[in-house]
Amino acid sequence: MSFHYGQGYPGGGNARPGAAYMGGGGHSGLHPSAPYAGAAGPQGVPYGGYGQQGHGGQYGHAPGGAPGGHYGGYGGHGGQPHGAPYGHHAPAGNMPPGVNPEAYQWFQTVDTDRSGFINLKELKQALVNSNWSAFNDETCLMMINMFDKTRTGRMDLFGFSALWEYMQRWRALFQQYDRDRSGCISGMELHQALAQMGYNLSPQFSETLVRRFIVRGGPHGIQLDRFIQVCTQLQSMTQAFKERDTAMSGNVRLNYEEFLSCAITRLM
Amino acid sequence: MAYHSPYRAPPHINAPPDQGFLWNIFQRVDKDRSGVISDSELQQALSNGTWTPFNPVTVRSIISMFDRENKGGVNFNEFAGVWKYITDWQNIFRTYDRDNSGFIDKNELKQALTGFGYRLSEQFYCTLIEKFDRQRKGQVAFDDFIQCCIVLQRLTDVFRRYDTDQDGWIQVSYEQYLSMVFNIV
Repeated sequence: MSFHYGQGYPGGGNARPGAAYMGGGGHSGLHPSAPYAGAAGPQGVPYGGYGQQGHGGQYGHAPGGAPGGHYGGYGGHGGQPHGAPYGHHAPAGNMPPGVNPEAYQWFQTVDTDRSGFINLKELKQALVNSNWSAFNDETCLMMINMFDKTRTGRMDLFGFSALWEYMQRWRALFQQYDRDRSGCISGMELHQALAQMGYNLSPQFSETLVRRFIVRGGPHGIQLDRFIQVCTQLQSMTQAFKERDTAMSGNVRLNYEEFLSCAITRLM
Repeated sequence: MAYHSPYRAPPHINAPPDQGFLWNIFQRVDKDRSGVISDSELQQALSNGTWTPFNPVTVRSIISMFDRENKGGVNFNEFAGVWKYITDWQNIFRTYDRDNSGFIDKNELKQALTGFGYRLSEQFYCTLIEKFDRQRKGQVAFDDFIQCCIVLQRLTDVFRRYDTDQDGWIQVSYEQYLSMVFNIV
């Protein structure tokens, strides 16, 4: 009998759990097709399954060698000019193809030093949770690592545009799973969210996870930034586990260094 | 065994600084005079020696280590621990950063970690550099070095907890594994 990490992956029986993030290759453009999206359907897919083909196969190709780390690319902007003139007061007509128009507008605002890139500081200033708190640094760094195709610690317009769409999908999911409209996701709500995304985890797991992030006197749950961080890492870690669990038994045997590299290459 | 005696905490190199000196620093760092130093206050006060902002993730790791009441910052008593922790790491870093460049390369990182008791493969050191080299220079700066050591220590601790027979191997379920890497065991 094989262990089910989660069967809820949309796309039917042969969904590829955890296959997101493998991008990196020459996929062109954004194809929010597939993983984990729970009931949300293709539009609501959070984990940018960018560029992956929908057909089955176990958990997809090994992410090894994907540039930009394991969060992989958001698809190589096939043939699009990188040095596109998204300069200062560029009219919308100058918007490079493949860039979300809203993201394009935002980019001009967020890129406060007009460098043509968004760095950690600029990103942090731009992102807020529903209680108006700034996004935490770990999540901002994680997102830069995910969408920084240039490997320079900052995002260009294309990366930012992909991040923008990624954020929109997460925000929608966050609102959907914040059932009591409290502005944060409680342990129980997280458990429901993860269950719907197809994860087979105990309620205690979510409770403990949420409790870890709660600050005394603060809200009794996690904000959007932690929600994105937790779900993204959960997906990445699940993928790492599956690669080891070739027999699908739900158990793995790891030596010390395997464990370390598993965690370190996937975390962050 | 590889992970049996890794480094627990920086050695006690310095004599404790006197309270007046620390109080002075605390007040300067605690910009909003709240009596608690927050992540951003500490981050602004720290330098990694390379004219780039101190790694905010390292700051969070350090503060959470000393913030006993989970208040999101450190009070004066806790700050003494933070101060000592950072200066001890600084002294260690300096002994490996021989040319004072503000960075240590892979070999120096290996020397440092080997000195702490870690026995890790060459390939793993490449992974470490790749992951913790925030400035993408093929070397790690002071702040990223601390973060690297903190993460290694944390993962080693949790591994050891599961490796009850101490043979360097663990067998874990999916949820156990996730709890380990999410540091919630």
